[in-house]
Amino acid sequence: MLDLLATSPNPTGASAPFWDACDRGELLFPKCGRCGHLFYYPRRHCPLCGDTALGWQRMSGRGTVFSHSHVHVAFQGGAWSGQLPYTVVLVDLAEGPRMLSRLIGDDASTVRGGDAVSVVFPRIGDRRYPFFQRAAAG
Amino acid sequence: MPTVGSDVVIAGIGETPVGRLPGWSPVEIQAAAVLAALRDAGFALSDLDGLINLDPYATPNSMFSSTLAEHLGVAPRFACTVDVGGTVTGMTMLQQAVWAIESGYCEVAACVYGENALTGRPAGAQGLHMHNLLGGEEWEEPFGLHGMVIPYALLAQRYLDLYGATDADLAAVALVTRRHALLNDNAQMRKPMTLEDYRASRQISSPLRLLDCSLVSDGGGALVLTRIGRAPQGRGRGVAIRAIGMKTTHNSVALMPDIPELGMAAAGADAYEAAGMGPEDIQVANLHDAFTISVLVSLEALGFARPGEGGALVRSGAMDLGGRWPLNPHGGLLSQAHIGGMLHITEAVRQLRGEAGRRQVEGARRALVSGNGGIFSVCGAMILEKP
Ligand SMILES: [Zn+2]
Repeated sequence: MLDLLATSPNPTGASAPFWDACDRGELLFPKCGRCGHLFYYPRRHCPLCGDTALGWQRMSGRGTVFSHSHVHVAFQGGAWSGQLPYTVVLVDLAEGPRMLSRLIGDDASTVRGGDAVSVVFPRIGDRRYPFFQRAAAG
Repeated sequence: MPTVGSDVVIAGIGETPVGRLPGWSPVEIQAAAVLAALRDAGFALSDLDGLINLDPYATPNSMFSSTLAEHLGVAPRFACTVDVGGTVTGMTMLQQAVWAIESGYCEVAACVYGENALTGRPAGAQGLHMHNLLGGEEWEEPFGLHGMVIPYALLAQRYLDLYGATDADLAAVALVTRRHALLNDNAQMRKPMTLEDYRASRQISSPLRLLDCSLVSDGGGALVLTRIGRAPQGRGRGVAIRAIGMKTTHNSVALMPDIPELGMAAAGADAYEAAGMGPEDIQVANLHDAFTISVLVSLEALGFARPGEGGALVRSGAMDLGGRWPLNPHGGLLSQAHIGGMLHITEAVRQLRGEAGRRQVEGARRALVSGNGGIFSVCGAMILEKP
């Protein structure tokens, strides 16, 4: 595979700790200090109870595939055509929340719903991104 | 329970030709649709005192209702631009028009959307230029999720896995809407489609193929609303809005509820309850078909089929003309044109008036129009009734 590509996330002040943790190889999700709700994606308040006293929980990085798609068209043009085909996944993390990510590895093309996956943090440009690979491969 | 139930009716419809309209700008297309709808209702341009529109997705504008008002040559007492998503935008326009007329802001309101998304994109642009990028800049685009096909592909794969459905279920939707488009002179797709054609079309984002995806179109559609007594055509041609149900649940695909919990079921339940009706009372099903999977999910959420049995229902012929619930007799977004679902509404009105010619649904008294914007992020169900 050619070099991976990713557009910069341009974090806000509230989401920067998530992306900074990725740069250290850690997956952190926000957790409400009042009601305990663990959620994705980071916000300045808890979407369940509205409280703003939030902390961060380190995730295991293990999950299962809720759905996936092999992408054959570069919707953003030029630069992405070198990535084709690539695989987008919805991952249900072991701790509960679901996140959208990209599945990488030679065995991504045969992934099925329910397959076990685990997070990896490839460096792309000046950041590391929370992509996934099939657990059997890791 | 949301209610509409007023004496405000859809008194006129207007459609431009669809497909390629080189040399037409978005405001010119919208103006042509409004003028056609006013003519259809028997109103003069000077009667128009309410105007509700959506600005073009390919070339977004601000304050597009005033752009259109000036271009038309009117000075409305109520004007606004709404952007809710999918056909729910059109439903929201109708809702705004009803409220504006009922509360005395205006008497004759036009609801319109149209643009030149096919021939008018800026050079080098791919897809629609969404100013807000659908909220996905941080949590979707870094992972390669761009545009609307990939999220619907994720929904479709989940549907196939959840119910053991196959590509034949998706194909059935593409095939029936194509059969219907062949009966519509104002449709982009005029060639018959076979299951082999469907399977030979290229993969865009698995499991979705090219023929699972709706068209990119130039064109416009408009509706004119007024009180029954104010319409020159009187009670005979006005179509009533019996109910509109809506539900917004999320925006990004990661936060999409699983299929049985999508907002379409809640929107449909509200609409049915408000109208005191169920699927058995509907004769025309104009369901938002941006992708084939959208129809299967909507059919099941709206009670036309049991969960996982949408494909079997379509294959049974029930959604063909002559069947129990003809689906998108005009050909829909998949085979007529994608004008944001406005033509789902104009077609419903045409069917209920009995003016649909060779694609007329026999005995059409009530039509259900469904809409969804984003990735079933906002859902709507609207029931229209013949007077
Ligand atoms: Zn909370």
